[in-house]
Amino acid sequence: MKVGNIEMNKSFEPKILAFLCNWCAYAGADLAGVSRLQYPPTIRSIRVMCSGRVDPVYIIDGLKSGFDSVFVSG
Amino acid sequence: MELVQYLLDLSGIGRDRVQLRWVSAAEGQLFAKYVTEVSNITRELGPFDPEEFRLPLAAVEQTLNSPRIRWLLGLTKQLTEQGNVYNEKLKNEDFKKLLQQAAEEEYHKALIMAALEEGPRSVRQMAEETGLPVYTVSLRLNELERCNQAGLKEYSGSTPIFMGM
Repeated sequence: MKVGNIEMNKSFEPKILAFLCNWCAYAGADLAGVSRLQYPPTIRSIRVMCSGRVDPVYIIDGLKSGFDSVFVSG
Repeated sequence: MELVQYLLDLSGIGRDRVQLRWVSAAEGQLFAKYVTEVSNITRELGPFDPEEFRLPLAAVEQTLNSPRIRWLLGLTKQLTEQGNVYNEKLKNEDFKKLLQQAAEEEYHKALIMAALEEGPRSVRQMAEETGLPVYTVSLRLNELERCNQAGLKEYSGSTPIFMGM
């Protein structure tokens, strides 16, 4: 049990909410996948049609619902 | 974005919880790099407990939704580039200062309202809960009273107890 706990602490996997612009970052993420680049499995992405669509309130909502941080990319 | 980060700093949550990066559709490599970077930053910050920041989060949200801040943000271009009705233009840094000052006031008011939502409180209790100085609480409370958002409920002994309207 204790070993498990220590391991849990060591490998704290952050949960990151990512807002990705359909035309830029989302395509970039797609490309990263297609070209088999490695990146951490920490983001949960939401595709938006433009990063300007992301209202500040959404960011706070993300934090409220338990994400460790919010990543906006466009 | 800057305003959100300013408010997160103000509320003690920390600006690094929100990250903005520009990636074009052709930059898969850059995207992978940024995700790694953001993950590392978050890993260093540690887990975020929304329960611990319940009041500040509610207050930041309220602030970002407040008409005053929305109006001000919408007028950014007009005030800094075209000038107001007297043809006075604000310098960018002056506008930033103005926005931050307004945001701070609205944030404090929202924080007090969030505390009052949980029941009637005295000024001292509110100051304790929100972590604001007693004087700031009474100033903002005064403003809230003028807008009929908060009011006197009763006296407990000689201490006035306030409530949200």
